Amino acid sequence: MKRRGFLVGAAALTVLSGVGPAEAQYTPSRPIDLVVHSGPGAGPDAFGRALIAAIEAEKISPVRIQINHKIGGGGATAASYIIEKKGDTNTIGLFTSAWIANPLVQADMKATVKEMTPVVRLVIEPAVFAVRADSPYKSMQEIVDAAKKDPTKIKQSGGSPLARDAIVRHVLMSNTGARWAFVSFPTGSERIAALLGGHVDMMIIEPSEAGELIRGGQMRALAQVSDKRLSTFPNTPTLREAGFNVPNVPQARGFVAPPDTPREVIAFYEQLFEKLVKSPTWQKYLTDNQFEDAFLKSEETGKFFDQYSDLMRGILTGAGIRVVR
Amino acid sequence: MEVLAGLAYGFGIALQPMNLLWCLLGCVLGTLVGIMPGLGPAAAIAMLMPISFNMDPTGGIIMLAGIYYGAKYGGSTTSILLNIPGEASSVASCIDGYQMAKRGRAGAALGIAAIASFVAGTFGVVLLTLVAPPIARFALSFSSPEYFALLSLGLALVVLFAGESPIKAALAMLLGLWFTSIGIDLFSAQARFTFGQTALLNGIDFMIVAIGVFAVAEVLGSVQARTDAQLLSVPRGIRNLLPNWEELKACRFALVNGSITGFLVGVLPGAGSSISSFIAYAFEKLFSKHPERFGQGAPEGLAAPEAANNADTSGALVPMLTLGLPGGGTTAILLSALVLWGLKPGPMLMQDSPNVFWGLVASMYIGNLMLLLLNLPLVPLFAQALRIPAYVLFPMILGISVVGVFGVAQSIFHVGLLAGFGLLGYAMARLGFPGAPLILGFVLGDGMERALRQSLQMSGGDLGILVSRPIAAGLLVAAVLVLIMPLVGRFNRWRLRGIAENG
Repeated sequence: MKRRGFLVGAAALTVLSGVGPAEAQYTPSRPIDLVVHSGPGAGPDAFGRALIAAIEAEKISPVRIQINHKIGGGGATAASYIIEKKGDTNTIGLFTSAWIANPLVQADMKATVKEMTPVVRLVIEPAVFAVRADSPYKSMQEIVDAAKKDPTKIKQSGGSPLARDAIVRHVLMSNTGARWAFVSFPTGSERIAALLGGHVDMMIIEPSEAGELIRGGQMRALAQVSDKRLSTFPNTPTLREAGFNVPNVPQARGFVAPPDTPREVIAFYEQLFEKLVKSPTWQKYLTDNQFEDAFLKSEETGKFFDQYSDLMRGILTGAGIRVVR
Repeated sequence: MEVLAGLAYGFGIALQPMNLLWCLLGCVLGTLVGIMPGLGPAAAIAMLMPISFNMDPTGGIIMLAGIYYGAKYGGSTTSILLNIPGEASSVASCIDGYQMAKRGRAGAALGIAAIASFVAGTFGVVLLTLVAPPIARFALSFSSPEYFALLSLGLALVVLFAGESPIKAALAMLLGLWFTSIGIDLFSAQARFTFGQTALLNGIDFMIVAIGVFAVAEVLGSVQARTDAQLLSVPRGIRNLLPNWEELKACRFALVNGSITGFLVGVLPGAGSSISSFIAYAFEKLFSKHPERFGQGAPEGLAAPEAANNADTSGALVPMLTLGLPGGGTTAILLSALVLWGLKPGPMLMQDSPNVFWGLVASMYIGNLMLLLLNLPLVPLFAQALRIPAYVLFPMILGISVVGVFGVAQSIFHVGLLAGFGLLGYAMARLGFPGAPLILGFVLGDGMERALRQSLQMSGGDLGILVSRPIAAGLLVAAVLVLIMPLVGRFNRWRLRGIAENG
């Protein structure tokens, strides 16, 4: 398989640009399987489909790319599948931060990104702290002050205790000494409904979800969970700008390959995604969905995995959640 | 007046030949998707989304929405004929629908399902047209304590599914509650009852339990009973294949009940269409003069859930179109399709893109009519399918079940689970345990536990939150009333007997 790929790759040498002469060539000879951990229509699946559509529109892949759903276990099924596919150069997995964070807490999740071969990191999803439009709180500081005065007063709607919104809450609470309640809802629309109905006081929400509700006069943004201000929220400060000296908790998406995938195969994927990232179709998709372009190649992606696990391990331990690895 | 002008504008768009064609295509695809267990409307729409990108957004959303509500029409077909729910929302239709088919009224059952779907579907669209913004605000006043109370009412209604022994029904329900708690717990992020199986971390899909306990168990039972070459009798003559006047008349109130219940529950983002059909069924039985006929093939026991799951589709579109909040998996995908077309679903959609909003609403009137005209002529055809002899039919049912489950979960482990649930359903039937309470516990338990724990997170652990909010308190009182009603009946009989003996 590998040798055949090598030969085809040599033939395709002229097609690919920007390859160092020392690196051997690889081009897949059959369709690439893109493994996602969600069912059709849910977040990772929608992201994968948009990505394939962009790659096809830009004609940058020599072979077809198809989605392969490995649903279940909050990513565990897909992750174990990638580990099983050791030696297969036509399979890559779309990872999200959950692939890194969940195995830290769940003993049953035996497949970790540490064993896989990092390919690229593509995007970071920023987020904003939002309140109802008629909320009395005008800034993050006012909410934190209110929570300090009365720990039973402020409530935040969010996802699982491992989700980014819960993690950011822990970071902020330990930084400020304030306490507030966290109410878990499985879907984004239930979290928003709880906020709009006045049952909770705030939430952390993706800008693409919040944009229309803010424009429609239902919601206000108080602060951004990102390193720099988003172009769509030029007047909303980041947490650091608002005076909270807390680490940013990035929510990332990108790709991993099965364990011990050869360097030349990874190089092929790196180039494929690098071309994608530079294409106007992809840039438009990022703008429309308010993703932050956060392209990293294989080596840096591996380092990102380590940094992110360490950051999460520290925060989770501090929050009193049992960490198993 | 504004509404009428909007609707007229919408019909102007929906009646354009291309949009009519997209509507028809969506309805046909939806019917097919509904008939096939394991291929749900969510998956079908996701698969068709890339094709629809090149379409004009109005035509595209008209077609995709057609699949969504069309699937509710088709979903009842296999429920009635084979006791296999085609969609999660058609499980309640199995109970009396399949019994009707067993009594030789398969054609009538299919006809009633189509008519109930049409009436409620149209009713739902009318409400969607008239009251979308105020009802969306009403839906927002519901939060976890109200959901907990609503689901408690649903679970209390289990006494109506009890059959002969309330104890056995309660045990079956507890089993359902246990199965639904399998998987990663949202609140602690820890796995429960997974026994180290990665495949169980996401919990068990509802379809696996329903197909196992209903369809597989039914086949096992029939095989053991050595049912003759033909499972169900199909009367000759086209006349006997359509519902008769008495059957239609029995469904009058079921249509009203199902339409209203379905729409109201559908509006709540966080309920779901399987819940609305169960609640409509239970209400129907609760207020029926002949509750004993339920479960024996009562036409109104089929009409109520079928009406509810169709009215539900329009209800679920209310929060989606007015606030951008999808109430379930399928509406979530419709929403992402709107985003990918460059539209901005949210409170401004009606102003920014009136062509999409009103075009879609108007197309749903047309689509429901198309579905009725499409489904009624198919009734005799589908009913003929029951002439297939048992030695062909049984393997076919098992085959459809296995393919359906594999389609949902894409793993052989889950096919094994299906076999397990089939055996469980068979054992339960042999020992006189009803299957419906298990399914009801499974459907409602998950949301109910979540709502309770969310309520406690909101109140800081104070149970008072459940009774201090008026809607929640009202629903809980209704739940208690439902629970004590059979006791009152029993007490009354005992009292009357006492009077008769003494007198």
